[in-house]
Amino acid sequence: MKQKILNIKNQALEDIKKAKNSRDIFDLRVKYLGRRSEFNKILKSLKDLLSEEKKNIGALSNQTKIELEKAFVNAEENIKTESFDTEAERIDVTIPGKKIEQGHLHPITLIQNEIEDIFTAMGFEIADGPEVENEFYNFDALNVPKNHSARDMQDTFWIDSKKGILPRTHTSNVQVRYMEKHKPPFRIIAPGRIFRHEATDSTHEHTFHQFEALIVGDNVNVANFKYIAEQFFSRFFNTEVTVRLRPSYFPFTEPSFEFDISCTMCGGKGCSGCKNAGWIEIGGAGMVNQNVFMAAGYSRNKFQGFAWGFGLERLAMMKYKIDDIRLFHSGDLRFIKQF
Amino acid sequence: MKYSYNWLKKLSGTKKTPEQLAELLTMKAFEVEGIEKMENKLSGVVAGKISAIQKHPNADKLQLVSVDIGGKKLNIVCGASNIKIGNIVPVALVGAKLPNNKEIREAEIRGVKSFGMLCAEDELGIGKNHSGILILGKKCKIGTPIVKELDLDDTIMEIKVLPDRGHDALSYIGMAREIAAMDGINFKYNFKKLYKSSSRKIKISIENKKLCQRYVGAILKGVEIKESPIWIRMLLRKSGINPINNIVDATNYVMFETGQPLHAFDFEKVKNGEIIVRLAKKGEKIKLLDETERILFKEDLVIADSEKALAIAGVMGGMESGISENTKKIVIEAASFDCVNVRKTRLRHNLSTDAAIRFEKEIDPNLAELAMARVLEIIGISNRKTLEIKDIYPIKASPWKIKLDLCYVKKLLGENISVGNIVRILNLLDLKLSGKGNIVNVKIPTFRIDLKTQEDLIEEIGRIYGYEKIKSQAPKVNLKTAEVNSQRLFERKAKEILAGIGFSEIYNYSFCSEQDVKKIHLNVVKHLRLENPLNSDQVFLRASLVPGILKNVRENLKYFKNFRIFENGRIYKKSNEVLPNERKMLTGAIVLENQKEGIFYEAKGCSELLMNNLGIENYCFESIKEVDSFWHVGRSAEIKINQKTIGRVGEINPQVLKDFGVSKRVACFEFDLRVLQKNTILVKTYKTISKYPTVIRDVSVVSQSRIKADDILKNIKKNGGTLVRDVELFDIFQKENKNSFAYHIKFGAGRTLENQEVDNLMQKIISALEKDLGVEIRK
Repeated sequence: MKQKILNIKNQALEDIKKAKNSRDIFDLRVKYLGRRSEFNKILKSLKDLLSEEKKNIGALSNQTKIELEKAFVNAEENIKTESFDTEAERIDVTIPGKKIEQGHLHPITLIQNEIEDIFTAMGFEIADGPEVENEFYNFDALNVPKNHSARDMQDTFWIDSKKGILPRTHTSNVQVRYMEKHKPPFRIIAPGRIFRHEATDSTHEHTFHQFEALIVGDNVNVANFKYIAEQFFSRFFNTEVTVRLRPSYFPFTEPSFEFDISCTMCGGKGCSGCKNAGWIEIGGAGMVNQNVFMAAGYSRNKFQGFAWGFGLERLAMMKYKIDDIRLFHSGDLRFIKQF
Repeated sequence: MKYSYNWLKKLSGTKKTPEQLAELLTMKAFEVEGIEKMENKLSGVVAGKISAIQKHPNADKLQLVSVDIGGKKLNIVCGASNIKIGNIVPVALVGAKLPNNKEIREAEIRGVKSFGMLCAEDELGIGKNHSGILILGKKCKIGTPIVKELDLDDTIMEIKVLPDRGHDALSYIGMAREIAAMDGINFKYNFKKLYKSSSRKIKISIENKKLCQRYVGAILKGVEIKESPIWIRMLLRKSGINPINNIVDATNYVMFETGQPLHAFDFEKVKNGEIIVRLAKKGEKIKLLDETERILFKEDLVIADSEKALAIAGVMGGMESGISENTKKIVIEAASFDCVNVRKTRLRHNLSTDAAIRFEKEIDPNLAELAMARVLEIIGISNRKTLEIKDIYPIKASPWKIKLDLCYVKKLLGENISVGNIVRILNLLDLKLSGKGNIVNVKIPTFRIDLKTQEDLIEEIGRIYGYEKIKSQAPKVNLKTAEVNSQRLFERKAKEILAGIGFSEIYNYSFCSEQDVKKIHLNVVKHLRLENPLNSDQVFLRASLVPGILKNVRENLKYFKNFRIFENGRIYKKSNEVLPNERKMLTGAIVLENQKEGIFYEAKGCSELLMNNLGIENYCFESIKEVDSFWHVGRSAEIKINQKTIGRVGEINPQVLKDFGVSKRVACFEFDLRVLQKNTILVKTYKTISKYPTVIRDVSVVSQSRIKADDILKNIKKNGGTLVRDVELFDIFQKENKNSFAYHIKFGAGRTLENQEVDNLMQKIISALEKDLGVEIRK
């Protein structure tokens, strides 16, 4: 019986060597180790043997089985690697990949999305208003009456100056529109396109994008504004940013501020990026003027809130180191495809 | 406004350097936009007194001057004729270097040695005057460096006064008051009292008291028109204006010092000696000091005599009544004009003067009197007999009170500032508190017109206290999720989808030209027009994104052969409402290098992918109906849902492309985002995946006529019935005027289909196609 097992083993090993593909291996495995195989018959007959012989033959059978299994695995492995000529098929992996055309979103869209995401995460709602506005929402309701010199602060395009129709000069037109329909407390942002009657050059545009944030409640104060601004800019620039307020004047806020952020390059120590000032001028802000609340139909001194705004182009220029504001409206794919 | 640091320092008593002062002002009051140290190359020039003048022995036009420079006398040859013995003049010593790079050396001029040079203004770099040697004031100390005497060692500070502070801070006194307060010093300035004659001889009347709250007029006789003293001229120059004569300079000087604009004119040019403040007559003309002739509007306020307008009130004086060399008798005016009226007038006439800029910010009427006293002091009126003054001031401005809730200070600023500190700050600003408890009264002096509400006061407290000291603090807000702006989300999703299939996003201006409108066959009349466009390319508000996109295509074709772009922006159309109809559009364009590929189908496929991903179903495409359009009518479709158009896709009319200078075919799609969004299916429902196999059979349809693919498809579906799960067009080709369409038809049911069953259905479908559409089935 021992010889029989050895014969099977030798025959099997011989056949495995000749196997050409996986199918051959599969067939051989069935032939030599399958349920109906000679070898399996031997295994089944072991139980009829005497204990001493049973022990010897059993051990041999097991070892043979292990050996054959190993031979099958090795053979399979060999067949797999030898099924094609690697060298003949070798390619130059350094040749550039096939160009998959991909679209690019405009940098202002990217910035706007980012801003919206940060504010949404802080529970701000995104509000919107018309781009062509009447002077009530653009000026009067914001405490900028007709013939007031404050109107000079924003050079205005007019569509119908008699009826007071204009392309909005700021996103603040959304303030009173929103307040007319909502009661505090609320917090909103209003991003959008605005227009100024201004000659263009590398730092000035007549069409640009602005961003308004407004929180109104019972106790919203200047310290809160500082906090929210710091939260926002720290997240936006991914570095800890502090906010500095300076006195300013806007008819729609009182007190009013210019706000600067600590330079994101040097952290406020002074570098070429901030012209050694340590601070970068960002935008305007202030506590909502009570007259604006009145225009929205709220009672005087019932609520407090802050409003702030700044240009998206400016942020995009800072973030991507863009040196000419006119590129944003150039429609030039050589520009857009970089983002 | 430009401010002399030295003058501010003198008035305010500050000890800060210009840099420190700039920092302080910027943080607490006004942004300092520039600090410029005056160029000072005048070392070696001193004040000297002329002790003797002799004729030059060898030259008629030259003189030998002996100058005392303090313990030493110098002999200098000089050509100027305006010098007299006893004059104090600038002497450039040997070795001095002048601003024009001239170096003074010992020289021999026509045989006489000269040890220096007497200087004219231009040689000192402080003016253009070269008509004679600069004569210094009699109080000048002999031997002192001229830099000190002329106060040339100064720094000019450009300070951006905030618009609401124009009435007080656009002046040295106002700015000095601000600086003193920031330094913690109580500011004092002792104005002289105005001597008021009870003269009734002066005929001044105000016809329109609403537009002129106060008019102080002074008539000065026996005036000599000459050059102003050097210190006034220096201050005017530092403040950015040229000196003219002693009278005009004095009014300008006092305007800079006090903030009150003044005007001086020739009384002898005033007909009948009568001064009337009135509205202009329609069509009335005046020639102004800038030598332009203006036709006045009846809303313009003028200063007139009994016959004609002499000046536009608060804006600019008239040429004719201006001060000339021969003027002997003058009127000085210190008045208070209505700010809105001055502003309107100045805008109507497109004039911007130092006076108008101040008047339109509103001027404290009480300032007129103080400024008048000061200007008379500057001009140097010694004899009251030569002076008559009239002051018309019917409704006097007096200080007002603001109720301030001390708790509100903390509530608004978020910073606990002690009551003591609040009182101290307000006092520094001349704001006096009265009353006890939390609610106090604050008395506002009339020169702080900007202070009207509690919040105005809190701003004053906050800025002087220092905004930088306010610690940031998380707001106490109700923790709730933000209301979702579904439109913004939808827009973002649409853009992301387009970017994902190769569309790059461009932004164009909202403005377009008349040519643009005409080129895309739209009606100019329906467009909104700007009253004040920047240029002729940007006159209208766009009613379509297409012109902008075609221009982008034209420009980008210079660098790219294949590209896809889109814009998501608003268009504007006239409407019956107050505001125009604004719609947010999503417009895409495709340019292909290989035009044979069928650019329409490319665009159609993109629009389908977009709609499918946005959850829009059950749309169909129909040939476009419009005739005169920027679309290629033979190659464009309307996208419809339930007969309603939700968008368009197609090639652009080749003529339009030509007009825009686009050399390649362009296909576009265009959607109104709101319409698109309305048609989305918000929640998708899962359909069970069939456990049973499907059977696929192909059919090839050959047609000679222009049968539409959609008709074949509908016919197959109709005749195949419910067992037809899907019909897919997989091949189209044209041969000998015949169109061949090949379809995969997928059959399926909730059970395994029998072959015979499918064969029968196929037979039915084929017969129907042949019968209904008259097509040939390739077998």
